[in-house]
Amino acid sequence: MTAEKKQARRSASQWAVAWRRFRKNKSALAGGVIVLFFIFMALYGEFFAPYPPRSFACLYQGCTDLPPFTNWAHPLGTEPSGIDVYSEILHGAAGDLYVGVAATALSVAIGLVVGALSGYKSGAAAAILLGVTQVFFVLPVLILILLFSRIFILLVAKGLALTLIVVILGVFGWPTIAFVTRGEILRIKELEFVQAARSLGASNTRILFRHILLNVLSPIIVLSSLLVAGNILTEVVISFLGFGDPSTSTWGLLLQEGFLYVRTSWWVSLFPGIAVVIAVLGFNLVGDGLADALNPRIRE
Amino acid sequence: MGGLFNYVLRRILFAIPVFLAVSIITFLITNAAGNPVDIVRIGIKSITPAQLAALRAFYHVDDPLYVRYFLWLSDFVHGNLGQSLYTGSVAGMIVPWIGTTLELQIPSLFLALLIGIPIGIFSAKRQYSKGDYAITSLAIFGISMPTFWIGIMAIIIFSYYLHWLPAFGAVSAYPPYWWGSPFLDVVAHLILPLSVLTLVSIATITRLIRANMLEVLRQDYILAARASGLRESIVTYKHALKNAITPVVTIVGLSFGVLLAGAPALETTFSWPGLGYRFVVAATGLDLPVVQAITMIITIMVLAANVITDLVYAYLDPRVRIS
Repeated sequence: MTAEKKQARRSASQWAVAWRRFRKNKSALAGGVIVLFFIFMALYGEFFAPYPPRSFACLYQGCTDLPPFTNWAHPLGTEPSGIDVYSEILHGAAGDLYVGVAATALSVAIGLVVGALSGYKSGAAAAILLGVTQVFFVLPVLILILLFSRIFILLVAKGLALTLIVVILGVFGWPTIAFVTRGEILRIKELEFVQAARSLGASNTRILFRHILLNVLSPIIVLSSLLVAGNILTEVVISFLGFGDPSTSTWGLLLQEGFLYVRTSWWVSLFPGIAVVIAVLGFNLVGDGLADALNPRIRE
Repeated sequence: MGGLFNYVLRRILFAIPVFLAVSIITFLITNAAGNPVDIVRIGIKSITPAQLAALRAFYHVDDPLYVRYFLWLSDFVHGNLGQSLYTGSVAGMIVPWIGTTLELQIPSLFLALLIGIPIGIFSAKRQYSKGDYAITSLAIFGISMPTFWIGIMAIIIFSYYLHWLPAFGAVSAYPPYWWGSPFLDVVAHLILPLSVLTLVSIATITRLIRANMLEVLRQDYILAARASGLRESIVTYKHALKNAITPVVTIVGLSFGVLLAGAPALETTFSWPGLGYRFVVAATGLDLPVVQAITMIITIMVLAANVITDLVYAYLDPRVRIS
């Protein structure tokens, strides 16, 4: 290795180092591939689906309740009600990805703002924000999420049901993000480089956004990835229990229908479940990989 | 001990506003679904004006919202959990529901700790070995699966295909019993949901213990313990585990609150008649008094579990008491 290269390597940014570590981690890369495939499926899956969403066409074509791998027009079988499992899994990807990512984005936005303010400010406002965070942290979240979904789904317009679930999951999902943000900010704001910036006359906003928030980002990125996985699982539970949107294709809805026919048509339960496991696994692997890659305590 | 007492008192005082906040939210939300009189009337074809007036009076429909809230809260605090729209007094039914949930959740928690902690330690001690890779891979699969879906798969295989175990309920309502006796019947019903729940919890606990052990084993005092010639088993179990397990107490305490809520989806899959399943059934049928009662009972349990967790944590970690 030449001296120049060595120099370049030493001055690599934090993110370049993280990417180099992430790349070496085979399971994290596999997770990345799964996530990309999942995104592709959510965006373009409909073009590969032989049937439109929630289509009962098989009722009239005489192809209801087909087992999988017997008829190539219906590779994963059909429900007794006529829905094609393969098409429905492709259509469901978009809904599940939307809920997983959008709810996480909302949680991160709330958590960052609340955490940053309660960590950086002091006094009554900070104490109240911390109190609110603690309250949300101890709530029996799952039961409240189910309750909110069940009741509000009656009150919103059909097309908005999935967005409603996004809002509910987002509003209940932020306390961990806020705690981590607050903890990191409390730690970082006493470090020398922040003191230096302050003594150079940097404004509060500049210190918060330019110096502190960037350093808070790495644990938040890890948490977000795991939160997407958790949100997808929760959405599946909501739809499976019948508290979701009955008119939008999601994997949970397919599992709910599968459970109706579980005695006779096992394939309706098996395949959407596998889709959920793979998608969630992808985000969890990426999250674990990022946690290792961004952890400064692990030396190469 | 004064510090500890103050600490506990603070935690208990913190629980009260949370309880009130949840009660307000629950009350407003369930009221948004409509009033009980309308829901009851869906099932009734003809009703006399006198009956209607009696119903309206019973549910205080004509009072303002805040009056109804205080009536409901005062009833709740006095142990009157309301009347189910379909089956009668909630207070009379809810204790067996809690019992059924705990019958599943407590053995599961114990088994998961008993199995998960040693596996986590093993995995951390042999980081990057084949065994560690196998364990971490299985564990990440475990946390990526919807619990209820593993339950469905187990039902398909062991109940419908092999006919080894029952697919739903906590007991057979009438003979013939599974495996010939009422006691073994209960055991037979417990095996599938218990195994599924335990497997998933093992995955979570293993990951947690492994991560914490790795953090702790990296610290200087472990190096010092090793350097002073202590046996590796003493270093692991006496020095490292004690610190690695403290965060697990928090997680177990918090998840214990969640456990008490039952796993609504898993209980539904097995028609396991615990709190979670009853909540789902009540919410589906818009049986609002039951929904309110279960939400509040679960809230109380979660808050209690939190206070107890804080206590244990303060006992284990003296730093908590001081700050």
